[in-house]
Amino acid sequence: MTTHWKFASRIFALSCLCLALLPLSAQRHDVDIAVVVHPDAPVSNLSLSDVRKVFLGDRQYWSTNIPVVLLIRAPVARERDVVLKIIYQMSESQFKQYWIAKIFRAEAATAPKVVYSNDMANQLVTAIPGAIAFIDSKDVKPGSTVVRVDGRLPGEAGYPLR
Amino acid sequence: MGSRWLLLILFSLTTSALLAQSPPPAPAEPTVQSLLDRIQQLENRLNQLEDRERKHEAVQVGAAAAPAPAETTQQAAVMTPAPPPPAPPPSHTQEHASMGEIRDTERRFPSLQIRGFGDVDFSATDKKGSISGFNLGQLVLHLASPLSDKVSYFGEVSFTAQPSTYDLSVERSIIRYDYNDYFKLSFGKYHTPIGYWNAAFHHGAWLQTTIARPEMVQFGGTFIPTHFVGIEAEGNIPSGGLGLGYNVGLGNGRSSILSKSGDSGDSNDNRSWVANLYARPTRFYGLQVGASVYRDKLTPQPGQNFAEWITAADIVWTKEKPEFLAEYANVHHRDVATSNTWDSQAFYVQLAYRLPWQQSKWKPYYRYEYIHKPEDDPTLVNVLDLTGSTLGVRYDITNYAAFKGEYRNSRHGVNEPRVNGAFFQTAFTF
Repeated sequence: MTTHWKFASRIFALSCLCLALLPLSAQRHDVDIAVVVHPDAPVSNLSLSDVRKVFLGDRQYWSTNIPVVLLIRAPVARERDVVLKIIYQMSESQFKQYWIAKIFRAEAATAPKVVYSNDMANQLVTAIPGAIAFIDSKDVKPGSTVVRVDGRLPGEAGYPLR
Repeated sequence: MGSRWLLLILFSLTTSALLAQSPPPAPAEPTVQSLLDRIQQLENRLNQLEDRERKHEAVQVGAAAAPAPAETTQQAAVMTPAPPPPAPPPSHTQEHASMGEIRDTERRFPSLQIRGFGDVDFSATDKKGSISGFNLGQLVLHLASPLSDKVSYFGEVSFTAQPSTYDLSVERSIIRYDYNDYFKLSFGKYHTPIGYWNAAFHHGAWLQTTIARPEMVQFGGTFIPTHFVGIEAEGNIPSGGLGLGYNVGLGNGRSSILSKSGDSGDSNDNRSWVANLYARPTRFYGLQVGASVYRDKLTPQPGQNFAEWITAADIVWTKEKPEFLAEYANVHHRDVATSNTWDSQAFYVQLAYRLPWQQSKWKPYYRYEYIHKPEDDPTLVNVLDLTGSTLGVRYDITNYAAFKGEYRNSRHGVNEPRVNGAFFQTAFTF
C-alpha cells in the first residue's frame, strides 16, 4: 500500500511539474520583433500593410529626398523567419525569386541589404539615412527609433510581429 | 503528509522560476540548404575580413604617418573607423569588424548587377511534319545599375539560336529617374505595360511558372505590341488601402514589321500611347486588378494606315497557394481609308498551386487560352485562331533552377485538327 502511494504521489508531482512548465514553453516564442528606422525617417506609426508595402519594395521613399533602405537578417535568424512568415508570407526560395524578379522587372534598383547580427542592424539603421530594420526587441539599442505597428509597440498586447 | 505536498509544490514553482531564466530554445530546425547557405556566407565574410585586416596592416606599415583623407559625406564620417592602437584589445577588433560590415553596405554608384537566364527545351508533337527534339532556349542577360539614389539603369539582351547564327537583341534598355513613389520618369525600350504578363515576366523562362508565355503575349507575335520605345511615367496613386498605381507612356509604336517596335525610328509620324491603371488592395495581399489602353497608327505598307485601339483587363493573385492569372485583350483595327473595322479577342486563365510537401518544390499548373481573329483582318496576318489547354508541373531543383514538364492540347486556325504535344524544359538563372 505504501509503495503504491509513493508511486502515485510521484506521478502527481510530475504532472504538477509539467503543468507548471507548459505556459513557460509557450511564452518563449513570444519575443517581439521591433521595427526600427533611422531617426531622420519621418515615420512613427505604420500599419502592418504599410510595413509590408515598404518591405515588398512597393513604397521606396519615406519622402522625396529620403529613399527607403531595407535591412534584413541573413537566413536562419529568427528575425528573418518572422519577416518572411508575417510580412512577405513567403518561403526562403520564394523570397529570393521575388527580389530577382523585382529588380529585373525594373521595379526596384536593389534588393534588401543583408545584415549578419542585431548589433550590425542597430549600427546600420542609425548610420544609413532612410534605413529600416527588424531587430529582436531585447536587442534594440537604447535611443533607437522604434516604429509602432498598427499603433502598438513591441511588448504591448496585440503586437503583430512575434 | 501535508509537508510532502508543500515540498512538491515548492519544487515545481522553483523549477519554473529557474527555467524561466534559461535561454530560449533554438528556433525551428532550419533546412540543410539554408544552413549551407549560411555557412557559405559566413566563410565569405571571414575571407573579406581577413583580407581587409591584411590590407589595413599593410597600409599601417607603409604609411603610418600619412593622415587619413577627409570624408565628404556624413555617412562616410560615421563609417570611418578610428586608427587602431598598436595592440588592439578584443573588443576593438570586434568593433573594427562591424565598421567593415557597415562599409560593405554603403551604396556605391554605379553598381552593376548582372543576372543571366537560360533554358534548354525538348518538344514532341503529333502535328504532321513536325520534328521532335531539343533546342536551346534564349540566353538572356539582365542588367541593373543604380547610378545615384534617384537614377537607375535597367537593360536586357537576349541571344536566340537561329539555324545558322544567333540573334542578338536589345529587349529592354531603360534609364529611370525617381522623383518619389508617385512619379518615376523613364526613357528607353520597355515591355509594353498592356495587361499583366507582358510587364511582369520578361525574357528568362525561369521567372515564369510555365514553359512558354501565353500566345497572346508571345515574343515575336503580333497580337499585342510586346515592346515599346519612348518615354514612360509610373508610380503609385495616393489611394489608401486601394493601392492604386499607374503607367503612362508615349512612344513610337509598332514598326512596319508589326512584331517589332520602332527601335531605330517610327514608321509614321504618329506617336503611340499607353495607359495602365492597377490596384493592389492592401486588404488582399497578392491580389492585383488592372486595366490598360493602347493607341497607335499602323503603317504596314506605305500608303496603308490602320488606327489601332487595344483595351485589356487583368486580375491576378500572385501568391503561389494558389497562383491565379487571367487577362483579356481586345484589339480593334480601323482602316483609315475605308473605315472598315476588325476586332480580335484573346484571353488566358492560368491556375497553379505550390504544393506544401517536399520543401514546396512542386507546382502543378493548368492554363486555358483562346484567340479569335476575323479572317479578313489585313493587319494580324500571322495570328491564328487558338483554343488550347496546357497541363504541367514545375519542380524547383534549387532556388535558382527549375524543371518543367507540360502536356499541351491545342487547335491553331479554323477547322484544323487538334495537336497534342509533350514539352520539357530546364530553366535557370545564374
